[in-house]
Amino acid sequence: MAAEIKNTQRRLDDRERHVLVPPVDIYDAGEEYVLKAEMPGVEKQDLEITMNNNELEINAAVHGDDGADSALSYGEFRLFSYHRKFVVDDSVNSSAITAVLENGVLTLTLPKSEKVKPRKIEVMAG
Amino acid sequence: MYTTYDIFDDILGLRNEIGRFFREVPVRTRSLDLPYTNVYERGDEIEIHALTPGVKVGDLNLELIDNSLILEGEKKSDYSDKPYIRKERSFGRFKKSIRLPFRVDPDKVRATVKNGILVVTLVKSEDAKPKKIEIK
Repeated sequence: MAAEIKNTQRRLDDRERHVLVPPVDIYDAGEEYVLKAEMPGVEKQDLEITMNNNELEINAAVHGDDGADSALSYGEFRLFSYHRKFVVDDSVNSSAITAVLENGVLTLTLPKSEKVKPRKIEVMAG
Repeated sequence: MYTTYDIFDDILGLRNEIGRFFREVPVRTRSLDLPYTNVYERGDEIEIHALTPGVKVGDLNLELIDNSLILEGEKKSDYSDKPYIRKERSFGRFKKSIRLPFRVDPDKVRATVKNGILVVTLVKSEDAKPKKIEIK
């Protein structure tokens, strides 16, 4: 009985240490793909973006807003960490990805590789 | 080896759990798109944290009416006319009123935005503090 109660409590604690999935917008800007993710509370140094085997992974930790502060009298959010993963095809030049974090919004620019970029075809005079 | 088990630890733990359930509004059941806020009370000081990612400082408006703090603003859309593969973010105007537990000094309100989180610090006003009355 005692062990059961302790286990239930542990499960409840684990459930609260949840990972947030940030809302993301992705659009095709012709020469590149642009990805915008909302991740309030993330500092630049706690953000980790990796590109491995065509998998783009975004990981971030948030400090100080997890709702554990005993002074909290009313709460609507708890921030622990963010995670998101995307499968990217070969059309992205993975070595040229750039990231900007501004006002809680992460903007990733994924340039397309040369062979898939839109190209204008010259019409030769016959 | 002995392990001391006290049933009251668990009862109190359960009470905290139930208390938290009523104190915290679960985020997923909210349909209104208002900035989520946390309110911290530290003695004579109140600290309000609000999630405002992508909202520019110039588009945020704070107002103090009686003992309520009105948080108003607009999250301007940054959509481009390019073809979208994924659209999950939302934009628009919002207005939220936060009832404060006591009157605050309007001259001592401080507000900053850092990493998309708005932090407002309010201090209890002098006339809301208890005063001793001399009996003649």
